[in-house]
Amino acid sequence: MDSERTEEYLEAIYKEQTKGDSASTSFLARDLGVSQPAVTDMLKNLENKGLIDYKSSKGATLTDIGVERALGVIRRHRLWERFLTDVLGMKWDKVHDVACKLEHLDVPEVEERLAVILGDTNTCPHGHSIPDKQGNIKQEKAVPLSRFHALQRVNIVAIEEGDSRLLGAIERKGLKPQVVVTILKKNEDGSLELEAGKKKLRINADLATVLLAEPATIRQPGAVKEETTLSKLIAGHSGILKEYTGERNLLGRCLSLGFTPGSVVKMLENFHSGPVLVRVHDTEIALGRDLADHITVTPNGSV
Amino acid sequence: MIEKVNGKKITVALAGAPNVGKSTVFNLLTGLSQHVGNWPGKTVEQKTGELRRGNLTMNIVDLPGTYSLTANSAEEQIARDYLVKESPDIVVAVLNAASLERNLYLVAELIELSPRLVIALNMMDVAQQQGKKIDDKSLAKGLNIPVIPIAASKNQGIDELLNAIEREYKQPLGSREVKHIEYGSEILKVIDHVAQLLDESMTAPYPKHWTAMKLLEGDTQIHKMVMERATASQVSELDAYLRANESAAVTIATLRYGWVERMMATTQEKPPLGRVSLTETIDRAATHPITGLFVLLLVFGLIFGIVYSIGIPIQKFLEVHLVESGKAFVNSSLPNVPSWVRSLLGNGILSGVGTVLTFIPILILFFAAWAFMEDVGYTARAAFVTDRFMHALGLHGKSVLPLVLGFGCNVPAILGTRIIDSPRSRLLTIIVAPLVPCTGRMAVITLIAAAFFGSAAIFVSIGIVIFSLIMLIITGLIMNRFVVGGEDSALLMELPLYHLPNPRIIGLVTWQNTMAFIKRAGTIILAVSLVIWLLATVPHGDINTSILADIGRFLEPIGKLMGFNWQVMVALLSSFIAKENTIATLGTLLGGQGAGLAAQLKTVLVPASALAFLVVQVLFIPCIATVAAIRQETKSWRWPIFTIVYQLILSFSIGILVFQIGRLL
Repeated sequence: MDSERTEEYLEAIYKEQTKGDSASTSFLARDLGVSQPAVTDMLKNLENKGLIDYKSSKGATLTDIGVERALGVIRRHRLWERFLTDVLGMKWDKVHDVACKLEHLDVPEVEERLAVILGDTNTCPHGHSIPDKQGNIKQEKAVPLSRFHALQRVNIVAIEEGDSRLLGAIERKGLKPQVVVTILKKNEDGSLELEAGKKKLRINADLATVLLAEPATIRQPGAVKEETTLSKLIAGHSGILKEYTGERNLLGRCLSLGFTPGSVVKMLENFHSGPVLVRVHDTEIALGRDLADHITVTPNGSV
Repeated sequence: MIEKVNGKKITVALAGAPNVGKSTVFNLLTGLSQHVGNWPGKTVEQKTGELRRGNLTMNIVDLPGTYSLTANSAEEQIARDYLVKESPDIVVAVLNAASLERNLYLVAELIELSPRLVIALNMMDVAQQQGKKIDDKSLAKGLNIPVIPIAASKNQGIDELLNAIEREYKQPLGSREVKHIEYGSEILKVIDHVAQLLDESMTAPYPKHWTAMKLLEGDTQIHKMVMERATASQVSELDAYLRANESAAVTIATLRYGWVERMMATTQEKPPLGRVSLTETIDRAATHPITGLFVLLLVFGLIFGIVYSIGIPIQKFLEVHLVESGKAFVNSSLPNVPSWVRSLLGNGILSGVGTVLTFIPILILFFAAWAFMEDVGYTARAAFVTDRFMHALGLHGKSVLPLVLGFGCNVPAILGTRIIDSPRSRLLTIIVAPLVPCTGRMAVITLIAAAFFGSAAIFVSIGIVIFSLIMLIITGLIMNRFVVGGEDSALLMELPLYHLPNPRIIGLVTWQNTMAFIKRAGTIILAVSLVIWLLATVPHGDINTSILADIGRFLEPIGKLMGFNWQVMVALLSSFIAKENTIATLGTLLGGQGAGLAAQLKTVLVPASALAFLVVQVLFIPCIATVAAIRQETKSWRWPIFTIVYQLILSFSIGILVFQIGRLL
């Protein structure tokens, strides 16, 4: 019981901390639904355990050990969410609360098997990065949709969870991570008019603050992202196809088999100098090494 | 409005990617009433068949399996030329529901060419097993094309498919507006620009707009056709524009896949992640670089074990009860017919054709094993695992399968090279295939080795087989480097999902292959048997004084270099009909059967020349059926003649070498 509460605190402090603030007692009291004195008690307790630095004037920040614990909880939380949507088939707007309960189950083997069964997923269903086992997490650069200008094309990257009613509303509007929308108009009341695909829709100010987005840019060619050839992808890893640089007479063949830019490709077998076996568009395809040498990919879905 | 279709005959073309079960659908529709031939001027198999349904007769054409309609291969060119030039009444697109995403790509291309399309969504059962929920109704709505879910391997949904074809045919043309892909204004501008540079006379019979798109997609055949018809100024203008817009090919394909994804979004619910499919589980072992080889050896070992343990006894049985008894019957029961007729029947037809026929059971077993591997989906895995080795010889991973088939008989091996899509690798495979020791040669080797080498015979036999395969590798290396021109083409193939074998399909394929073999080989062997019989009979009715013996004596000087007398040379020549004939000829010439023959052999051969004989026999010119198959598959006399000359020189020079060295030891 005690450790569960500890983890809730660490998680809340971590989230506040990533926004650049330290967590004040009043914030934590609101976020966790407890009284301020109770928060103060708990924070002192956590400080004694070496998990946080606490100054009553400034609030709490996590120590290195605290960050590590917090990331462990977040990792489990997001893995469970993925499991609930992808394996159990639950809708993504319903899984947060369940995952809040499951995240406290700290059994390394369960965590490991979850990661194996989910394969290469590196975000939760809400679009947040899942920290890796060593506690590394990709920094999120996305900002709320409300901060973009009218007529800007943006890519929804993640959705701030917490309020399950808002999540439900977003789901019903057909919005989710990786949807590209254009902001048509910003209204006085903070609501936005959007175009997603061919559909026009309107979202209120609350939704506009929990939807996190990035400007949708056309992928910059030659960006600094490590780019490699398909033949160098290790078995079990996946990547996103960039382009085919080989002879033109094989281009048509490659394209019709699904090697189009932006397609996700997973390496299944890659051994020495022989041909490679990949999965692309749901089919296993064998291709000669010389061909794989002429297909560039960005590894690990990091575009 | 409804048109009467009394006694109407319509053409229905089946289009689809490889591995979608299209041939299963075709077989279900046509049963045994099919005609197998070649597409005009191509070595690609053409299958047509008929189906009667009330007053309607459907002429069903099985188009070659293609991933797209851009001519990247002969198959694709045939398929789309058929659609454009023959304009079939209905095109049925057979799709694999278990990999719908890829299959819809072809649909994206088909709707640009075919006015009346029906989609047969095959393998619904497999998709279900994989946890893929497919909403065929919403696909039909999205495309505005009838979509019929079927499971051909279980014979489900075929009737509904036929109903849909009939319904679609009765609808007036143009009543259904198929939703075309929206390519977006940017690329449309480019396509329109190319179309403006073309005129109908340059593109006929293809639609202009479609031709423009294919030019941008880099379709070599269309490019060649248009450029040949264009004036010099048109050529330079087109070429410049196409070069400036080279990236359009990728854009068009990407947009098509984008369209496919949108279709998929409403059609298929994503299967739960983390569910590892059966195919994936098996493939971790079957395609692994090391365990995959063990699986391969196990599979081939099993096939050979079964084929030989069942096939050889049947062959022996037939030899005794068909050929030997037949000859005895001819000699004893037909006293009133002239002796030359008895000789023709016994020594000519029964020894020649009869002997070949005794090998049919072994062939049937090989064909069945082949069809089985293909049907369950293992063939592509075997090709993947062996590709790295085959590649060194300029061969293709898929070459391994016909070559293995060659151990049964070289003829199906040559025909089996059709599965190799690279023309160069295919030709190389055809050239080296006759060096695989077939059952006929093995029969000769076993007998001779047993006669001369006693307890070491088994090692000698194995040694000869290994030697023959080494020669195959060396030949491959030489041909790859110096003889066969052209570029090595890269491996690019789909590994189909594994599925349970369908006995009906395996039976049908085995039947078709066996009949084709009997027809092709049977007639040629009959003809050549008769010629050889004639040469061995004329002028005095005695083989020892015949023309054949004269030829043998003429060749004796060469034979002497290998330690062969003229009888052995004649025996070698007679192996041109069928390899196993060597024994029968030796028997006739030396006068002895079984143990008697072994004893007689020792009087004409010493161990060194016996070894030379084994080597020559295994490398000697291919039998006539194989030569005919090479002629048929390469469409020229160049390669069969090349093979004969090459193997003649190869076998004799190595035979001389073996004898001369062996004599010194």
